[in-house]
Amino acid sequence: MATTQEENQPRMGENLLNRRVIVKGDTTYKIVSKSVTEYHFTVPFVLPDEERVEVGQIFSIKDQGLTFLARVLNIEHSSNYDGHWDTTMNGTQFFDSDQIFNRVIAEPLGCINKRLEFKKSRTLPTKFATVVRAEKEEFKFLSQVMGDIEVGYLRNGSRLVEEIPVALHSEAMDHHMGVFATTGMGKSNFMKVFAASCMRLFARGESKFGLLIVDPHGEYLKGKSKDLVKGLTHLKRYREGLACYSTNRQNASDPGVEELAISESEILPEDIALLYDWSPPQRDALEAISRILDPANWLEEIQSPEGMARMMQEGFKDSTVMVLVRRIKNELGRNQYIRKRSSLANILANLQKGKVVLVDIPRMSDRSELFLLSVISRYILDEYKKDEKEGQESRKNCLITIEEAQRVLGAGSNTARFESIAREGRKFGVGLCAVTQQPKLIDKQLLSQFNTLVVMGLGDRNDRMQLEESAKQDLSSMDIEIQTLEKGEAVVSTLNIPFPVPARIHRYEDYLRRLETEDKQESLITRGGFKPFLD
Amino acid sequence: MEYESRLSLVAEMIRDHISLDGIDRYLAETGVQESDFVLVEPCEFAGEIFAVDGSNVSICNWSTANVNLIRAGYAVYRGRVWRRTVITFDDVFVADTKLCRNMFDLYLEQFFGLKGVDLKESDLDRLSSYYRELQEYVAINETLGEAHAGDIILYDGSFDVFELLRGALAVIFARARELGIALLAVAKSSTLFWGEEITLPFVQHTSTIGSGLLPGAAWYLSLKDKKVDAGQGRWNGQTYIVRFCGESEHAFRVDAPTYLQGEMGSILGKLAAYSCSSECLGYPHALFRAHRDIRITEQEGAAVRNKLRGELLERGMTHLEIRMLMQDFHDILEMRSGF
Repeated sequence: MATTQEENQPRMGENLLNRRVIVKGDTTYKIVSKSVTEYHFTVPFVLPDEERVEVGQIFSIKDQGLTFLARVLNIEHSSNYDGHWDTTMNGTQFFDSDQIFNRVIAEPLGCINKRLEFKKSRTLPTKFATVVRAEKEEFKFLSQVMGDIEVGYLRNGSRLVEEIPVALHSEAMDHHMGVFATTGMGKSNFMKVFAASCMRLFARGESKFGLLIVDPHGEYLKGKSKDLVKGLTHLKRYREGLACYSTNRQNASDPGVEELAISESEILPEDIALLYDWSPPQRDALEAISRILDPANWLEEIQSPEGMARMMQEGFKDSTVMVLVRRIKNELGRNQYIRKRSSLANILANLQKGKVVLVDIPRMSDRSELFLLSVISRYILDEYKKDEKEGQESRKNCLITIEEAQRVLGAGSNTARFESIAREGRKFGVGLCAVTQQPKLIDKQLLSQFNTLVVMGLGDRNDRMQLEESAKQDLSSMDIEIQTLEKGEAVVSTLNIPFPVPARIHRYEDYLRRLETEDKQESLITRGGFKPFLD
Repeated sequence: MEYESRLSLVAEMIRDHISLDGIDRYLAETGVQESDFVLVEPCEFAGEIFAVDGSNVSICNWSTANVNLIRAGYAVYRGRVWRRTVITFDDVFVADTKLCRNMFDLYLEQFFGLKGVDLKESDLDRLSSYYRELQEYVAINETLGEAHAGDIILYDGSFDVFELLRGALAVIFARARELGIALLAVAKSSTLFWGEEITLPFVQHTSTIGSGLLPGAAWYLSLKDKKVDAGQGRWNGQTYIVRFCGESEHAFRVDAPTYLQGEMGSILGKLAAYSCSSECLGYPHALFRAHRDIRITEQEGAAVRNKLRGELLERGMTHLEIRMLMQDFHDILEMRSGF
């Protein structure tokens, strides 16, 4: 409401009157309270669909030289009337829209000064300052802090801000990344978009790290033709940024896809160790193998009568050794890619050049996949350690993707190898990209090492709490938003971007089309105008 | 406890007399007939509704005089849309029979062309009420300057007013009639009663009976020639009991000047169309808004009290003197903090 001292027309007894006229003013879209840590503003209680306020939307408050940004956390019915009058069954024929409104509770993100610098806010906007939906102008500063790996567009509630791409920083990748979403929310799509951007960086000579993806579902290589889902090989324009290895003979027959092989000599007893639950004597025997047998030929030796005899001479019971041998034979029989030759050196070389390396292992069992991932990861970490000692500065860093990461990063899991990458990989330029739908099962300490989180809709409260407690940026206030994310929507929390950013991840097939037709040298993150979803 | 047995007797009496078993006794003793309840058809209209209200809060009281904060004004609606609220008076009034006579004369003369008011010593308690009502009449007079023919002016209260101010009301009626403006007083509470053996609440019983006869509908009942004393004849008008909204349980006393007698059905129909807000179902919404915008809240009263205290301290009065002046001994007995 606005109050004015009226300019009276001459009236009877005018000198006795001091008329004050209260007229309808803009009572909504104003900051009404409350503190530096929480803003409240009002919006009309009835709004057309396109103007409805949503959790997660970002609003701006221009106040003198500052533009404050605030993200909607919750919306409540409210009015200027006390008590519970509005719970009586009087219908919804409200007369006074200036008295009844929705109260929006928003979390301050920070403020932008005249020089377009974004800072955390230590003050609050003036009471009754006007609040408007933030538009591209207010988000421009974000373009300055985005990285080089484009994954989607900024999202303001359900609306896209196409002028502001969301892009991760290559520099942050050795600080580990987590991709979290329940089934069907778009994890695989995200990984393909991420990989495509990495391929593009390589093709432009701008790649700063190699990306290893081990795909047990066989969906990244060629996609699924019956569902019109494309694979990474469909990105022909930047195909040079992709190196493919497959255990599937048919896939490997394609030019540009190499049949995967791991040499027996590259397999260590500890790789076998993580495949089974072992009794203490069996574990002792496994650990002794490297001492008793030739480390380069132990797999062949232990299966021979001489090798077994040497193990028993060391005091291991024949039954213990027999279990070891039987299980090793099983694994060798199950994993046909274990041969004399090896792809590992080639994989490593491609990673060090900064390529995306896709290891396609369709229909491989869970256990075999873990075994393979363990062998490759150990090999990579060992080689990067060596490089570190030898001062190989020309090689790129590396990011190892682990699907269903809760299997190997869970509290109490016996896969210390991945844990050691999470804890010390950064020193050697090796990062982990953990993809999982159950972050609650990942060790909290390990999770706290992840500096980039891509959260894509988690219905389980425990999953969200686990992330909120471990994230470097405060995600606790975004609980409702994360809970209500739709397929393809994400909250991206990473270093260098000052607050968790709501994003719509590009649909891979549309992104592919865009990449295939773009000017090769054109910068992605300043392009804008791209429609990431088919009409 | 002694009062418990007494309470049960009172409860029995209320049940026997106040609770209505049927309508025959009511009809017989009040002279009301079933056919006197007239259906009101809600009807939207393009004119404006003005709602006049006032508010009064005691700031301090030293037995022989007191200080009040008084506010009066009106809210204006066109249909469901609030247009504005105008405050015509918002000031402190010192109720002292020797000092304030001039305050009345000033307004009575300037706005209503009336002279001389007889304020007796015994009227002290009512002085601030009189003054508030006078300011409300000034506000009504202001609405007459803004309203057009066919518009409706509502006054929160009754036209059965203190004798002192009847002259002002008569002037207002005459002006409203001349301008073709409907002027009604709607009372939230009423002392109207019926019953030969015991005093029974007339409005509440009429509400119950009317709603039984015309369920789910708005209706009105004229008290003309009924055996209910509504001050008829004292103020040149007629009293009605009105239920403005069929969904509401509440009926109200409505006073209207005589010149509106033939139009009451139509006027009440227009009001019924705008008495259905969810904020205050069954009450003309403009009056609801006027009440909200013009009322003086407890906090406002406390703030003015504090300001007055500051002014007194500045002028050299001691805390003890101020306490003596401003504190109500009830506050001491109730162990309330403050002065």
